[in-house]
Amino acid sequence: MNTGRAHVFLMLATLAAVGLSVAVWTRSAAGRLAENRGKAPEVATASASDMGYCTGDLKVILRRVLTSCGLVSGGSSRGCQPLQARQVAAMSGGDFNALFAPLSARAAILQFDKDSADLDPAAIEQLEKTFADRRGASYFFVVSRASPEGSVEHNRDLSHRRGSAVLDAIKAKFQDPDIDQEVGLLWLGEEFAQLDQQFCQWQRSRSSEACTTADLNRSSFIAWIDCRL
Amino acid sequence: MQNPEGGTREEPRATPRKTLIAFGLFALVGVVFGAVSSYDFIAHLDRQVHAITCSIVPGLAAPDAAGTSGCHAVLMSPYSSVLRDYTWGGIPIALPAFGVFAFLLFRAVDLILRKQISRRETGFTVAAALVPVATSMVYAFISMTRIGTFCKVCVGIYVASLGVLVTAIAAHVLTPTSTDEPGKGSLFGLWGFYFVEGVALVALPILFYLACKPSYPDSLLQTSGLRHPDDKYGVMLNLGSGKTPAVEVMDPLCPACKAFAERLAASDLGADLDTKLVLFPLDKECNWMVGESLHPGACAVSEALLCAGPSTREVLAWAFDHQAELRALGAAGQPAVYARIKRDFPGLAGCVGGPLVRARINRSLRWIVANSLPVLTPQLFVRNQKIPDEDTDLGLDYVLARVLARGAAEGGAR
Repeated sequence: MNTGRAHVFLMLATLAAVGLSVAVWTRSAAGRLAENRGKAPEVATASASDMGYCTGDLKVILRRVLTSCGLVSGGSSRGCQPLQARQVAAMSGGDFNALFAPLSARAAILQFDKDSADLDPAAIEQLEKTFADRRGASYFFVVSRASPEGSVEHNRDLSHRRGSAVLDAIKAKFQDPDIDQEVGLLWLGEEFAQLDQQFCQWQRSRSSEACTTADLNRSSFIAWIDCRL
Repeated sequence: MQNPEGGTREEPRATPRKTLIAFGLFALVGVVFGAVSSYDFIAHLDRQVHAITCSIVPGLAAPDAAGTSGCHAVLMSPYSSVLRDYTWGGIPIALPAFGVFAFLLFRAVDLILRKQISRRETGFTVAAALVPVATSMVYAFISMTRIGTFCKVCVGIYVASLGVLVTAIAAHVLTPTSTDEPGKGSLFGLWGFYFVEGVALVALPILFYLACKPSYPDSLLQTSGLRHPDDKYGVMLNLGSGKTPAVEVMDPLCPACKAFAERLAASDLGADLDTKLVLFPLDKECNWMVGESLHPGACAVSEALLCAGPSTREVLAWAFDHQAELRALGAAGQPAVYARIKRDFPGLAGCVGGPLVRARINRSLRWIVANSLPVLTPQLFVRNQKIPDEDTDLGLDYVLARVLARGAAEGGAR
């Protein structure tokens, strides 16, 4: 083959090799694109958390409590009366407390002085720490109680004021626009679901002090609930 | 001897055969690296994520599937292709490189097959070899100063470029001067002919690429927007100064977000956006939506951004600059990241880690939940229309240009 022909042949071969390579690669990508068109991407969608302890039974109770407390329905009522709580929960005090057992790592007990609804600095610090550690939870429960000293009416009012003090502190500190749809208040007075000694092991604002059942129930129990309803 | 430009004969003389073979081998190395780089770029035209070759000996090392290599950074950078707003992804720079080295390989084989060559032939080869060297110098400078990393495949091309130039010069020097050259056809005619051949070998792959690449139908832009675009939680950070409202969902320690920010900054279109950032740290320390921290330390760095106020840009640039280091600190625990933040930004010490800023991070995540967004970063919404996730890398300029043009047309039609 003379040099001129070899030159032309080489040129054409190089052009063909380069052009065909690029054409094959590009058509291959186009084919894959056509195959994938219309397929849904395999990416999770952002959602609130729904922990393993959120069983069907627990969700039924939560929905009843939250609806009665005005959180789910968006009603004007703010919090639940003790009688309402007992009715909607439709369970004993012990069973009601047992509902919160899986929350031991998430909950805290804010302790008050006897016959007082004032949050001390330790309680405020514990409240802010617990409220800030929301993660994917949807609802924040504040369950206030009173120890049995005094009249039933007085203790009902006292637990109400303790719950309100917690809510006011959250509102003042965090200014969350959704707070009315998130925070559920229950004030139980001395009448329902008193905390027993085992709750002394939970996070308390006065963890360095002695713990009696009377101390435990002069309190607001707070916890984020990681359940989607 | 029959030359392509005419029929005159030269006196037979020795050819620097070994040097030309070395020249051909360097050109072949350039062809391989150019082909590998072109193939990796073209594979992404299917709008999916692919592992890419990143080895000085292609095929020996495992491809980079994690997107952490210099090759990935370079491929996804705004400098890997041109005319990005003309066609999806643009025209990869590797494609003309592939063509140029193929031309040089063709030249080498052509010269080796001849019984004798002239210095006019080798002179053109030297001139042609200057093209990849000049391009390599420009791209090495860009890699060093703009991208901040080198890709091994690119280094292979740089070495091949240098090799072809050195061997082309050697071949030219070793080729004896011909006494009958002045009598032959015009030097410009000969060089012009070879130049046209070179242009053909560069243009053909580009034409084939443009002719065969998939089209981008308008239906791909029919994406939904945000359900709740308003900032009722006060979590958006204002970083834009343009006129077109945009929301970017990002993680400050996500390499893809950094690369995305760089592409947006390099694009002329980025300046049109009035971008508000929503932080979406993919770190399990604060984000319950991820089982494992994809970017450990991102929660603490996000807190720093929310605490920064008027210094947000400065903190974000710092986070991007130290991503790998901060992720390594985050893997060792949040306190190490907080300590680093406090060391570099003492003014933020009273804010990061506090309950207020942690609650703000949580609100940012709740904004993501309220809008039912996919758990990935980055995401961009322009005029409340989502830029498809598959188009936030190579296709960004093209898709953004179309979205902005459509918005302008709709605005003009009102």
